Amino acid sequence: MLAQSVQNYILFIVLACLLLVSQAHGFTRESGSGRVGSSSYSGLVNTNVIRTIDLKSLPTVYEQVGVVVQNEHDSKVFKSYTVVVPYFKQIHLAHIGVRERKGGVELDVTQLEKPSGNDTALSAPVLYRATLKRALQPGEKISLNIDTVYLNTVLPRPAMVKQSDDQKWEWAEDLLVSSVYPTRKQKTVVNTRGVITSFAKVTEGGGSSKNGRSVTFGPFTSDMMAKLEGVQANVRFRDNSEQLEALTHRREYFVSHWGNDLNILEYYALRNRAPAIEDGFDKVKQTMSKFTKSRDNFVKTLLLKVPADARQMYVVDEIGNVSTSAVTGRRRIKGELPFKVMQLKPRYPLAGGWNYTWWHGYSVPLSSYLRIDSRNGNQHLLRVPFIGALTGSASQEEEISLSAIDSHNTASSNYELRITLPEGASNVNVHLPFAVDSMRMEPLSYYFDSTGRTVVVIEQRNVAPDSNKEYVLVTYSYSALSLWKKPLVIAGVIFTLFVMASAISRTQLGLLPLKNGNASSKIMKKSTKTE
Amino acid sequence: MRDKVLGLSAHDQTSLLRLAILGLISVVAIGSRLYSVIRFESIIHEFDPWFNYRTTRYLVDNGFDKFWNWFDETAWYPLGRVVGGTLYPGIMVTSATIYNGLRLLNIPVDIRNVCVFLAPVFSALTAIATYQLGKEVKDATAGLLAAAFIGIAPGYISRSVAGSYDNEGIAIFLLVFTFFLWLRSVRLGSAMYGALTAVFYFYMVSAWGGYVFIINLIPLHVFALLAMGRYSNRLYVAYSTFYVLGTLASMQIPFVGFQPTFTSEHMAALGTFGLVQLVAFTYYVRTVASQQHFQLLVRFALLILFVLGVAVLVLLTMRGVIAPWTGRFYSLWDTGYAKIHIPIIASVSEHQPTAWPNFFFDLNLLIWLFPAGIYFSFRELTDNHVFLILYSIFAAYFSGVMVRLILTLTPIVCVMAGIAMANVFETYLDFRKAAPAELEAHDAPPSATGSMKRYYTYFPKIAVMVNFMYFLFMFQWHCSWITSSAYSSPSVVLASRGPDGSHHIIDDFREAYYWLRKNTEPSAKVLSWWDYGYQLAGMADRTTLVDNNTWNNTHIATVGKIMASDEDTAYELARRHDVDYVLVIFGGMLGYSGDDINKFLWMIRIAQGVYPDDVNEQSFFNREGQYAIGDDASAAMKNSLMHKLCYYRFGDVMGPKGFDRVRKQRLPTSVELDNFEEAYTTENWMVRIYKVKELDSLGRTHHAVAKLKGPRAAAHIPF
Repeated sequence: MLAQSVQNYILFIVLACLLLVSQAHGFTRESGSGRVGSSSYSGLVNTNVIRTIDLKSLPTVYEQVGVVVQNEHDSKVFKSYTVVVPYFKQIHLAHIGVRERKGGVELDVTQLEKPSGNDTALSAPVLYRATLKRALQPGEKISLNIDTVYLNTVLPRPAMVKQSDDQKWEWAEDLLVSSVYPTRKQKTVVNTRGVITSFAKVTEGGGSSKNGRSVTFGPFTSDMMAKLEGVQANVRFRDNSEQLEALTHRREYFVSHWGNDLNILEYYALRNRAPAIEDGFDKVKQTMSKFTKSRDNFVKTLLLKVPADARQMYVVDEIGNVSTSAVTGRRRIKGELPFKVMQLKPRYPLAGGWNYTWWHGYSVPLSSYLRIDSRNGNQHLLRVPFIGALTGSASQEEEISLSAIDSHNTASSNYELRITLPEGASNVNVHLPFAVDSMRMEPLSYYFDSTGRTVVVIEQRNVAPDSNKEYVLVTYSYSALSLWKKPLVIAGVIFTLFVMASAISRTQLGLLPLKNGNASSKIMKKSTKTE
Repeated sequence: MRDKVLGLSAHDQTSLLRLAILGLISVVAIGSRLYSVIRFESIIHEFDPWFNYRTTRYLVDNGFDKFWNWFDETAWYPLGRVVGGTLYPGIMVTSATIYNGLRLLNIPVDIRNVCVFLAPVFSALTAIATYQLGKEVKDATAGLLAAAFIGIAPGYISRSVAGSYDNEGIAIFLLVFTFFLWLRSVRLGSAMYGALTAVFYFYMVSAWGGYVFIINLIPLHVFALLAMGRYSNRLYVAYSTFYVLGTLASMQIPFVGFQPTFTSEHMAALGTFGLVQLVAFTYYVRTVASQQHFQLLVRFALLILFVLGVAVLVLLTMRGVIAPWTGRFYSLWDTGYAKIHIPIIASVSEHQPTAWPNFFFDLNLLIWLFPAGIYFSFRELTDNHVFLILYSIFAAYFSGVMVRLILTLTPIVCVMAGIAMANVFETYLDFRKAAPAELEAHDAPPSATGSMKRYYTYFPKIAVMVNFMYFLFMFQWHCSWITSSAYSSPSVVLASRGPDGSHHIIDDFREAYYWLRKNTEPSAKVLSWWDYGYQLAGMADRTTLVDNNTWNNTHIATVGKIMASDEDTAYELARRHDVDYVLVIFGGMLGYSGDDINKFLWMIRIAQGVYPDDVNEQSFFNREGQYAIGDDASAAMKNSLMHKLCYYRFGDVMGPKGFDRVRKQRLPTSVELDNFEEAYTTENWMVRIYKVKELDSLGRTHHAVAKLKGPRAAAHIPF
């Protein structure tokens, strides 16, 4: 027994060593490729880089990199600036935008094609090119702000705690900002919502220091950077606010001109990002916490705002109605349309790592979302929110405060938007607030359709919760005749059925004439009786 | 009668009225089955329907070929189940056909809704079939009354409310319609109707095991007619067509297979078929032979044939060629049989003998009209009436043996009541005939005294009719009340009323099943008592060890043994069966009496039947012979896995003076559980799920690990 476990340990150590070696190998290769890149971009220099990481609204991470860029080339003129996003961060990237600091002009950003090839190429950093409004002349300087938003990059550490212990999280990344250009000086500031418990100690240059709820790494000058290449920085902090990830999130709109009805259906496959339960679920403690109002890590209610005129609401999951949900009365906040709050109670409280899947829906009057072009009666314009926001709450209170509802702590890692237009809609055009991963039109045959209808399908990876303020515009032509098509088709079919039934009842199918002994004699008997 | 109303002749008027009445009956039949959908939701009820629903889904998703060849490795782990060959596919195929038909018309309904509303829709068809049957044996009035009765009779509603997606839902329609077609084919001697009977018989075979009732009752009808000397060529044509086609068709269902050729249940039909041939031959011979020769011939032939037939039958049964009657069949004749020999059949409540009040509960007024209907049938004894009387006798007997067979009794009760009621109507609603007779007798012109007289003759008629109308209204009242209060609970979702009258929904079952579905490995194996097997497969979508298809008694006994063993033995057995989670139903918090502790004695009994050395029922009673659960419980009870899983830490939440609300007993003071870890417990503690711990990585026992960790901190109790 002992011999076997010793053997196991040795095997484990050997494996771990192998893993480390291969990791280190990978790092060198990556930085090597960076150097190769930098040679081809020579000329531009980042004279100062300040990276600010905002961890106050997890699971969304806001990262802002302020760079001062100088053209140090003798003669070359630069029209664009290239931004590097490491691959493992890029898969969590929700948004990237570059602005000139002066005037705040938004620049066009395009993703550069990755060199196709082996796995190394696949995991290589992703490059984005921001086109400058005015070309950068030799010797000139410009200040840029690079804003990026990442979802679900901060993980719980430790990954398991007791069900009512504090949650601790870790932000961990390369200490240095990756760039294709040489950098003279840089600094990273990490701000958290909760108390910081530990962070990576750096002794070079400005080192690392904690100040209240923020940690500063640096500043570092270029001579130190060579040493710090590949070093990991991390910050660990306590944060008991709820964090949810929508593994799949689908929002569907159904447009019905007949009922003046816009039906909205939202499907969620949700996961609580909190640390998993250590030592098993404790029902007694969970029951008790209801009476003592003490906190635990279970998400108990999911909140979402719906328009005040929403009706026919429902919440269903794979095995039927979820009967524990409720909806509040009309609420109003200054500067917002009146709304109601749907309080969805999952069938079971969501502990860390637990999943819950459901869908809910409601109807709103179509007229608030649809404009008909007054000059051209055929032209219709539909304007609907790009995504709906969801807030998970661990609160034990019955009534949840309005400010808590807007914390929007659900990040959608795979989002799909489907807009089903009425049968007969043509010339469909879609205007999106930002570029999306994919958009296509699909045919669909729905209730009693004869020719089918068009569905606009939009897919997007990583949508930050604050995108719920963005709108999608769909324009389409729809004639008055199309409105009457469905009733006419149905009436026609029913009429044909009656005609057929009438014809069949008048046709004699048998070879012999009907026997007199049956039906007719009975009737005669009846009529004689009644007379 | 007035000539024309709305431009329709009298004949058209009556047929229009009949159509309208039948339409209304259908609407009422469907409508009165929707209580549960309105009160709860569109959900599949109880246990078996979940299996039917799951297989229907499989059929819709994977097509017929895959469904037919489906080997389900997630049931009866590790044995698996050949699903395609061990079920009656009728209901699944029906639903899938409806579903695909609607899809074809671009009506994208959910398959769940097709399943939920299938039984109510078929109940409307049953009403129409009953109308046809009533019209066949008497007239349209009897038919309409019978249709109205069956539309709302609780005996049938109990098995066909929305969501009760079970074989009986369509089988009763098929039963009635097959009988109607049979009677018509006998009356007309029509081969076409005989063939149609066979077609619907085939549908019935594909839908329900109760088809055995048809294949015994029709031969019995034929035999009775022969015995009464009522042989006719019409009977010969009808029966020969039906038997040959029907038997061949029924053998196409894999679950039935060659049973019609060798099991005792089908032998009567085969024998009658032979007998009909002989009788037909005799009648033929009589037309060609002289009287004396013929009598001699018949006497010898009958004797020889009888001796031969019996000898062959006995021989074949002894050699095992003809399978003897199954246990379930024996329990039909001897109600005590199951209790002694097959505890697994006896443990099901719907297999208990019927109590007298049940008949009144399920049939109300009809149970009194039933004998009247039989009387009227005797009075006018046609071939059809012979059938009705036979059906009445047999169904009445069987329904007394097993509660759930009231279902097969209901259609004939409705038809008989329809006949009785129609006779009452015929006599007492006929005002025209009596009035002129009176007048003629007095030979006077219509005057004031004449109308007074007419009033006197009307009075008893009106009084009788008012009386009967009152009974009918009460019947309707009773039916609605029974349906609403007794038969409309999905049993998956429970409802309770608070002291202030507020409506609470108790949804613990789905809470637990959905938790399993979303938060365990898709390959996880869940051990529970067999009652919850189908629901686990349908709602939690996880592998189960045993389920409601109780085909393997040993496997069920093994699960019973695990539940009844002490923790260490149970742990070893559970690990040997790859069990990941154990699920128990516990009602002590809520006062839900159908929980596992109350079923525990059946588990022990079934386990003892297979493992008499390991499990002993007596050891679960304490010294006073009581079935206790608290500190005064017997050692075997306190150490059993079931007891531990149910009461683990329950005392911590109920306080030191806590009570079990079902058994009204004090709780055990301490329950130690080391080999299993609480994984989830629902809101009202009704379902408790435990994880079977992995083996310790250092090879220690879990008891040693627990001792090392020290006792779990006691929770603070606020009240």
